[in-house]
Amino acid sequence: MSDPATPLRLEPVGRVGSLEVVRQPAPEGAPTFAATYLTPAGWGFDPKGREGTARLVNQLAVSAAGPWGRIELARRLDRAGGSLQVDTSPEAAEISVWGPRDAWEPLLEILAASVRRPRFDPDDLARAIRQLRERQLRERNHPGSRAHAELLRAVFPEAHPYRSSGLGDGRSASRISRAGLVEFHRERYGAAGAQLVVTAAAGGTAVERAIRKHFSGMSETSRAPLRLPAIPRAAPRRVEIDLPGHSQVEVRVAGPSVPQSAPEYAAGYLGNQVLGGRPLISRLFQNVREQSGLAYGASSHLETLRRGGWWVAGAGTGADRWTKVVPLVEGEVARLREESVPPDELGTVRESAIGEIPLGLESTAEAHQLAVDVVYHGMPPDFWLTWPGRLRAIRSDDVRRAAGTVFDPNHSATVVVGPLSGGPSRAR
Amino acid sequence: MVPSPSARPRVRSFRLANGLRVLLAPDAASPTASVWVWYGVGSKNEHPGITGASHWVEHMLFQGSPRYGKGQMDRAVIRVGGELNAFTDTDYTAYFSTVPREHVGVPLDIEADRMTRALLLDPEVERERTVIYSEREGNENSPEFRVSEEILELAFRIHPYRWDALGYRADIEHLSPQQLREYYHRYYGTRNAVLVVAGGFEPDGMERTVRERFSPLPAGGDDVTVAAVEPTPNGERRAELSGPGTTPYLEMAWRSPALRDPATPSTLVLDAVLGGEVPMFSALSMRRGAEHPASRLYRALVDPGLAVRAGSSWHPQEYPGLFSIAALAAPGVALDRIEARIDRELARIQRTGPTPVEMDDARTKFRRGAALAYEGASRTGFRLGYFATVAPDGFEQRLLAAITRVSARDVRDRARELFRPEARIVVRYTPRGTAADE
Repeated sequence: MSDPATPLRLEPVGRVGSLEVVRQPAPEGAPTFAATYLTPAGWGFDPKGREGTARLVNQLAVSAAGPWGRIELARRLDRAGGSLQVDTSPEAAEISVWGPRDAWEPLLEILAASVRRPRFDPDDLARAIRQLRERQLRERNHPGSRAHAELLRAVFPEAHPYRSSGLGDGRSASRISRAGLVEFHRERYGAAGAQLVVTAAAGGTAVERAIRKHFSGMSETSRAPLRLPAIPRAAPRRVEIDLPGHSQVEVRVAGPSVPQSAPEYAAGYLGNQVLGGRPLISRLFQNVREQSGLAYGASSHLETLRRGGWWVAGAGTGADRWTKVVPLVEGEVARLREESVPPDELGTVRESAIGEIPLGLESTAEAHQLAVDVVYHGMPPDFWLTWPGRLRAIRSDDVRRAAGTVFDPNHSATVVVGPLSGGPSRAR
Repeated sequence: MVPSPSARPRVRSFRLANGLRVLLAPDAASPTASVWVWYGVGSKNEHPGITGASHWVEHMLFQGSPRYGKGQMDRAVIRVGGELNAFTDTDYTAYFSTVPREHVGVPLDIEADRMTRALLLDPEVERERTVIYSEREGNENSPEFRVSEEILELAFRIHPYRWDALGYRADIEHLSPQQLREYYHRYYGTRNAVLVVAGGFEPDGMERTVRERFSPLPAGGDDVTVAAVEPTPNGERRAELSGPGTTPYLEMAWRSPALRDPATPSTLVLDAVLGGEVPMFSALSMRRGAEHPASRLYRALVDPGLAVRAGSSWHPQEYPGLFSIAALAAPGVALDRIEARIDRELARIQRTGPTPVEMDDARTKFRRGAALAYEGASRTGFRLGYFATVAPDGFEQRLLAAITRVSARDVRDRARELFRPEARIVVRYTPRGTAADE
């Protein structure tokens, strides 16, 4: 772990204007290259009444940019053997490029064009809005997607940026215009508050020169950060939505959580591994699937963002079984808050969490994701080197105490979506 | 164009006296080691009454063996930071564990223990029944799965590719523990398996370890040949489905060549030109689900606003399978219009074939994808095991070389052979009871 070139230690390169640039050595011998631009341009910043704007700007940025129309850009990427990907959250937008190590220069140029000069061609916008509408309808009608949307609505109060999935609805989509997208992009895709993470082979002077060439002169205007209203006290609530005709009911139990920078995060992380975050050995998987045979998948997840987040535990189950699954999931969440995790059980998930770090170094893409997480959450460059020590310091009682905050029962909700009045499944 | 060799690693291969084939792909720089066991058993080995048996047996191999009680395999791998899972397809079942390199002995011990001695106890089989059922229900929530099952039913009358690897609902209800044990003992074993170890280890030591652990296993495991030959279709087959959902969906399919057929290279290029994907030669990372705006179907359907998603799909199998085209309608667009537009596009490629630019782009995609496809121990284990199971003996390299020799005329001719109207299957899905969003 003391190797100065390990991908687990990031190397701050400095700034290009106010754009923060961070380099990560690629895993030894890796044949690929990756880079990601992160900017505070998530859907929490969507103009009121035009929800969906942030997602569309992000999607269209990688569609046609700079001198390249949609088809030319796609062909250029194919010829380089690379790909562009986007990701949006309430807080931020990301654009990533990945491809062969020997094509890093054209790939970096494509990334810069996507970040700085998206074209927002009218035909392209019309297509993207059609695709957005389809996703909006799917969110209303598919049990898994609907359950996710409903849990956000139940957990977060009105005007909270985490309350939405960022898709908007038919009305908001109809108000989105090219001018609005251009304006959002101009305000939010600059250097201020943004980062560039590059995972490249050692000896990156040429890469640094190219970064300066392609990313100099970006907008330096700072924008107001996301406003997060306080979450008022509220008793747990229950939401049941019947979507007849489907086969499976989706059960979610969820509540607000903390950001990764919170002091109790490490203990909460291990608590989540115990609850359902570690597949196959977690309590939810063992009790809901292995002991009771009630579901194929049962798990939990901590969605930690920069300023806060949410926790969610759940399972997909049959129309004749969901009433048994709900108390099991709710009971496991409560047990985590109320009882100390036995040392053996904690030891297993702790050693697992420490031991799995090398698995994140199998490829450039996987190592790059570790780096982007560190940068996104504002953690120190050696975060992954110090993480094992932090986990080893956690005791059973720490997990119980942290669970009260990380798995906050205030404003929590149980959401059940699917064929509640009966489906094609039969009891056994 | 000079074909670029794939980045296939150096492999040490040998066969044990009990028939087990072993591939070792050491990479001194790798922080992980990945252990894969591929069995030549899948839904092709089943028949009505026991459909889903391969998949169910896959689940049961996590439920206990002589040295690992229920849950202990998972715990042993996960507590050292590893991950493990398995999957079942038509032609194979594969188990994998990737662990930090110093713990490679853990999954090797597990695989040796469950290769011939998994317990498949009655209570565990019964408890797993509802789990399998639940897995199926999760898939059924997707209209695409329902359509895909209907396509298989229409395309195959006698061949076991007729059912999905999950099996029919009725068979999941009625398969008995004894039937599953018989199935396991017949098809699982050293003669019908390939063991792959990839990643950070020293090859001589690993060969010794593998010989010590796996040589004592008795020889066993049938590798059967499917005798059923699906008759040539003599007319279009069509179905209309309806159910929950939001968006009309259409899938068309045609009978396609088997993986080792000489027509495979040109069919792969045809798929790349129409849909943009090159699934057999991709790095499998950060690419899945990507849009392909330069592909024919995207330009014909998504660009003009007929569909929000469109593409082709071909996953070559051991026996002749299906080449399919699917489209998700844009809001307000009738499936008839989409179907007509697909017909026009297919007529066009049968008339003029791909352009030189399309051919060059397709070859580049294959070449670029192949060069990156072996990045990391897990991908290496997957890829070596896949080809060793379904098409061994250097097939991958020969296929890649053959792809670079495919001409535009070959692709045009392939399209003419493939897209015969009398061989077409069409399934259309119309959602009902769609909730409005306002």
